[in-house]
Amino acid sequence: MRTGDVATFGELLERHEREIFAYALRLVGDRDEADDIYQETFLAAFRAWPPPRRGQERAWLYRIATNKVVDRARRRKRLVRMGDVRLAAPERDGASMADLTAAVKVLPSGQRAAFVLRKLQGLEYADVARALECSEDAARARVAEAMRKVKEAMR
Amino acid sequence: MSGRRAATLDADRLLADARERLVSRARREGLETVGYRVMDSPLGPLWIAVGPRGVLAIHYGAEPSAPELARIVRTYGPGVLPDARRADPVAREIDEYFAGKRRSFDVPVDLAPLTDFQRRILRATAAVAYGDVATYARVAAKAGNEKASRAAGQALGANPIPIVVPCHRVVATDGTLGGYAGGLDAKRRLLALEGGTVPPGGWPKKRRA
Repeated sequence: MRTGDVATFGELLERHEREIFAYALRLVGDRDEADDIYQETFLAAFRAWPPPRRGQERAWLYRIATNKVVDRARRRKRLVRMGDVRLAAPERDGASMADLTAAVKVLPSGQRAAFVLRKLQGLEYADVARALECSEDAARARVAEAMRKVKEAMR
Repeated sequence: MSGRRAATLDADRLLADARERLVSRARREGLETVGYRVMDSPLGPLWIAVGPRGVLAIHYGAEPSAPELARIVRTYGPGVLPDARRADPVAREIDEYFAGKRRSFDVPVDLAPLTDFQRRILRATAAVAYGDVATYARVAAKAGNEKASRAAGQALGANPIPIVVPCHRVVATDGTLGGYAGGLDAKRRLLALEGGTVPPGGWPKKRRA
């Protein structure tokens, strides 16, 4: 991955499309819906160009993607399916992945997004906070609470 | 094949499909101004960009240089996206050229982001036929300033559309190859493709017309 300023839509897309698609898939668990979120996220970013702050494009994209997921969930007033478990799964600990997916599925959306950003996407807490537009302490609290519930569910 | 590997390939395909749909939507919405792709060639990867008026750039390498990209963004804004659909016609003609099946290019070129002098030099260069060579001095004269052969060399060194605008056909007055953005070996191979063997240092002076 190259570093430095992002001058074009293509650079933004090539640097971040994979993780944004994976993030969407992990949050909604359905490939068609993840595809929609990926497209809406990048189209929204292109329309809102330029990125708000230099070097924070990644958190910006996660914020847009998270809002897209939350908007959809609100519109439908239901929890989304977690269908494509294998695709949504991070590359670790295959045996308990279905359990983990089930545990993540029932988290409230704020905790779910925080958990996925930190534990599955591997973002720093500062970036989780930017993506979720909350303080770093709040991000830590959400992840901790999500972890507690996930561990509970998987015991 | 392991399940995980299958899943990765599956995910790659999903992403490629999603990207194609995204770029189509960006194109329809007018968010995309320039489409690009990377193609393989006998001279290594080429980065090709196509704008609203034609080919903007053919760059030796898989990524454009920062100044090259800056020039494109200055003219057409940040809407530069990977878009095989727009760049494929150019790639096809380049493939045909390398296969020896094409001697001139039909795709339009866009010289708008360049200075007037650069445009005149590149137009004069475009008039040098397949299999021919011209000197920097000759191209400068054709562009209206026979004393500007050094400046002509610089303009050709900065040619953003090599191969299609055949700056490889322009050599020094003493018969040596001069310079080339893709390297002298690439220049030699292009000239050899068009007209036979080129001596390692170019042609001896006595054999030049």
